[in-house]
Parts: sequence; C-alpha cells; structure tokens
Amino acid sequence: MHWLNLLKANTKKEYIELKRYLPNTLAMIVTFYAIFLGMFAGIQLIGDPSTQDINIQYAIVNYIFWFLAMMVMNNIGWEITNEAMRGTLEQLCMSPMGVWRIMVTRLISSTVLNFIVIVALLYVSMLTTGQWLNIDVLTILPILMLTLISMFGVGFMIAGISIVLKQVQAFLQILQFILAGLTFIPLSVAPMFAYLPFVKGVDLVRNVMIDGVTISHIGWESFLILGFNAIFYFALGLIIFFFCERIAMNKGLLAHY
Amino acid sequence: MDTIIEVEGLKKSYKKRRSKEFVHAVDDVSFTVNRGEILGLLGPNGAGKTTTIKMICGLLIPDSGSIVINGINSRRKRLDALRHISAVLEGNRNLYWRLTVKENLDYFAGNRGLSRKEVRVQIEDLLKKFSLKEKQHELVNRLSRGMQQKLAIAVAMLADSEVILLDEPTLGLDVETGYEVRDLLRSIVKDDNRTIIISSHDMDVVQDLCNRTVIIDKGKIVTNDKVENLLRLFQVRAYTITLGGLLSDQQHQCLLQKFPQLEYTTDTIQSTLEIDLVKSEEIYDLFDVLKMENTFIESIDRSTINFEQIFMKIVKEGAEGCTG
Ligand SMILES: Nc1ncnc2c1ncn2[C@@H]1O[C@H](COP(=O)(O)OP(=O)(O)OP(=O)(O)O)[C@@H](O)[C@H]1O
Ligand SMILES: [Mg+2]
Repeated sequence: MHWLNLLKANTKKEYIELKRYLPNTLAMIVTFYAIFLGMFAGIQLIGDPSTQDINIQYAIVNYIFWFLAMMVMNNIGWEITNEAMRGTLEQLCMSPMGVWRIMVTRLISSTVLNFIVIVALLYVSMLTTGQWLNIDVLTILPILMLTLISMFGVGFMIAGISIVLKQVQAFLQILQFILAGLTFIPLSVAPMFAYLPFVKGVDLVRNVMIDGVTISHIGWESFLILGFNAIFYFALGLIIFFFCERIAMNKGLLAHY
Repeated sequence: MDTIIEVEGLKKSYKKRRSKEFVHAVDDVSFTVNRGEILGLLGPNGAGKTTTIKMICGLLIPDSGSIVINGINSRRKRLDALRHISAVLEGNRNLYWRLTVKENLDYFAGNRGLSRKEVRVQIEDLLKKFSLKEKQHELVNRLSRGMQQKLAIAVAMLADSEVILLDEPTLGLDVETGYEVRDLLRSIVKDDNRTIIISSHDMDVVQDLCNRTVIIDKGKIVTNDKVENLLRLFQVRAYTITLGGLLSDQQHQCLLQKFPQLEYTTDTIQSTLEIDLVKSEEIYDLFDVLKMENTFIESIDRSTINFEQIFMKIVKEGAEGCTG
C-alpha cells in the first residue's frame, strides 16, 4: 500500500513536470527526431544501397533504445544532481520509506511516461522511412521488462555516483555516448557483451522487430541471460547506491550547495 | 517527564578541504528533549547547530554517540526512527519550486507512503491554518519568502511526526510574518501535541517561544536550562545603582578590585554604578564600600536584561556559573 502511494505520488510529479514544461518536452522530442533524420539521411547518402533497408531498420531500433536508455538511466542522474543543488534531496532522504524506494518508483514512472513518447517516436520514424518493423508485442514485452530491470540497476549506480560527486555533469554527458555505443553494438561483433546490462535485450528486440523472430524461437538460454542480467545489475545497482548513500551521509554530501 | 529524544555523546568532524585537519563541528553533545516542549538550540555561527540537527534527522551519520527517537535507536533503525520526525532545514530549499503549494503537500505526503485520501482533510486544515488557501494553486517560486517558509512548515506538519526540527525558521522573514510563524509554532505544540526543536539566532523568538534552551559553542554544550531560569538568574545579578553624589577615589579602587567589570559613570551631582554580580550575596560587599563614606543611595534597580544579552554573556563567559 505504501509502495502504491509512493508510485502514485511520483508518477503524478513526473507527469506534472512533463506537462508544465511542455515546450521543453517537445523540444527534446524534436531534437531526438532531428538526430534520427540525420542518421536516416546519412544512411541514404553514404550507405551501401543493397543493405539500405536493413540499415535503416537497425537505425530505428537502435535509436529508439538509445532514447529509452537516456530516459531511464541518464535522467535519474540529472534529477539527483538538480535536487541536491536545490536542497530537496535532503527532504527525500528523510522519508521513512527510504530514498531508494522513491528512486524505484521514479524510475518506473518516468519509464512508463516516456514510453508513450517512445512509441510515438517509433511510429513517426517508421512513417518517415517507410520501413515498417515487426511490432510483436507479446514477444517484445517480456524481453523489454527484463531489460528494463537491468537498466534500472544501472540507473541506481548513476544515481549513487551523482549523489557523491558534485561535478557529475561532465560524467553524465560522456555517459550519453557510452549508452549510445552499447545500444548500437550488434552482439555478433562481440558476443561477451551479452552480459553487459542491456545489450542482450536490445539485440533480441532487433531480432524480433527486424527479422520477425517470435517468442518460441528465442531459446531459453537467451531468457536466462536476460534474467541473470536483470537480477545481477539491479542488485549491484542497489548495493552501489546504498554504498554511495552511506558515503554521502558520512561526509555531509546530500546537499550540494 | 516523558522523553522523546535522547542524544548521547554525539560527535561529528569534517575533514578540511585539501588538508589533513579536521573541524570538530559537534564534540560530545548530550541532551534530551521532552515530549511537548519547544527546545531552542542556540549558538554563534559555526557552533554546530545545523550539524546536530542533521544528525538527528538521519542526514548525517555521527562519528560516535547515539540518538534515540521515541525509543528507537536511529543509527540501527534509521527508517523506523524517521517515521517520528520531520524537519524544515536551513534556507528556502525544502520545497519544489516548480510545483504548486498543493502539489508540494501532496507529493511529500505521498513520499512518506501516505495516500491522498488519508491526508486530504489534513491538507485542507493546514492550508487554512497557514493562510495559504488562496495560494494553493500558485507555483512555489511565485510565493513570498514568508509563504514559502509557512508551506515548508506545513509540509513538515503533514508528515504526522511527533517531532519537528526547524533550522532558523524565521530567518529572512519580516517582523509580521515572523510573529505569524511564532504563533503557528506555538499552536502546533499546544493543539497538535508536537514537540519542536528550533535553532535560531533571533533571541526574541527564543525568549518568546522556547521552554528550554541548549546553547552550544564550538561544538560543545555551554548551557542547558529553562529560559525562565536563565532570565531570573541573570536578572538577579544585574544591578544599576544611582548614587546622590560621587564615589571617593578609595571607594572606587575598592570596588574595582572586587568587581573588575564594574561600570562607573559620573554626572555633576550624581553617579551610576552598573554591576554584574556572580553571586547575589556580593551585593553586601558593595554596600559595605558605600557605607565607608555614607554615600547616599538614590535608587537601586535591577537592570532589565533580555535574552539576547544573556546569550551574549553565556557565550562569552563559557560554562562557568550558569548551568542550572
Ligand atoms: N559539509 C561540511 N563540510 C565541511 N565542514 C562543514 C560542513 N558542514 C559544516 N561544516 C563546518 O562545521 C562547523 C559547524 O557548522 P554548522 O553548520 O553545524 O554550524 P551552525 O551552528 O549551524 O552555524 P550557523 O549559525 O552559521 O548556521 C563549521 O565550522 C562548519 O564550517
Ligand atoms: Mg546552521
């Protein structure tokens, strides 16, 4: 029940902020769309015409996941930094629910809200390119869920680091490109990357959306890896977050002013 | 009396930037807070008030010492202990500036796991009580400093915690709003059975509001006593004596020897002695000196001394002779 109230409160807050700063929200979406158009134009201009269709399809999936990764993982870093500077982080840390629970609900609510944007972006980019991907919800959904859990784990690591470090901006900016790299890498190039937080999930979704693979064709080993990653990175993220929270409470870092 | 907070042997030091030295911000502080009282935490800048408050709020881990809140050891069961306290920290950094008054109340209640239904009535009451009803849909960054402060206190009230800590709640408020906040705090304790710990540099507020004060300086407790006791203690000891003539040199020397702090001002036909006694019996010594020359005493007045002056004296004198 407490969890539910927490989730409601945080979803409402995220929603209010998205709505109240609608111009910002729209500008962000337009920027992302412009980046996509750039990629699309690049493929058409310099790409190999014989693989052009497949390249565009890859571009769409990769770029949608990059956006998702940014929204889930990078955002929480920015939020924490802002709240530490404004002073509200200390109020959050005084909640008897524990700040980690607040962060879980924020991750969930911002994912759900941004999902609407993501679906819109997906359809707009498909419309723009005329490349219609296989949206097999039943197959994609379980993959996505497990992948998101590992992303939440990384979100917690970033949140923890953002609490402890005062000058985290540069780090967050670099992180955008690391996230891009991880979403764009095909697993065939580097199989070991399957154990990185969300590379395997993105790869599977590519298989579904581009090659039309269905859930029955995806081996249990793949789900095992996804499940393992979800548990491992979520737990690791929480551990790192608690560790950082302790450091901050020892050194008086919960307020960055 | 029923104790709600017990602070025992609290220590906290910060590492100085770019050096190996430490600042002992709080150095072996112990005190208790009784249910239903308003405790003033006083001290000059850098005394360690904010550090102490943040440790009680679970925002800072003490280097050593224990904090027990409502019987719960806050270092062992931090989240359980947090259920019983809420705080308005220094400055106007306790609220979301881009949310409205009502949204802030809703959000912070939700963050403590309370449902909107549970708090709806309470929010209405608080909005009325704090005269924020007309502003409920206003963004916080458009409110005046005083309204922001009232809202921050309302948010702390909404938490349903027995203890509310306030770090300099009247700082930056105009006189009228300052009085309004005082009245609100008083009624919070009286009508809502809360306990308040308040840190302030405004001795007027302290004298008016607090039952008891803990004065700290350089991280250590200097005084822990009821405000009325301190007032009485110092009132008894401070005298202004008007004489119908001048002191002889011998008398003056005698007095200076006995009371080095003595202030002697002369006029053409009369003179005044201002004196601070360490013990009230010392007044007889003073009279003996006056008797030597049968000096005519026109009047004896207890100097009216306010809490501000008492505070200054205590901090200057250190611990000697003023703990109750
Ligand atoms: N985060 C921190 N890092 C390093 N030193 C700190 C930190 N916070 C406080 N200090 C130091 O600890 C000492 C006590 O500070 P504190 O803020 O508790 O004092 P205060 O009594 O609240 O003062 P004021 O009346 O100015 O608010 C000061 O010397 C201060 O410089
Ligand atoms: Mg302070």
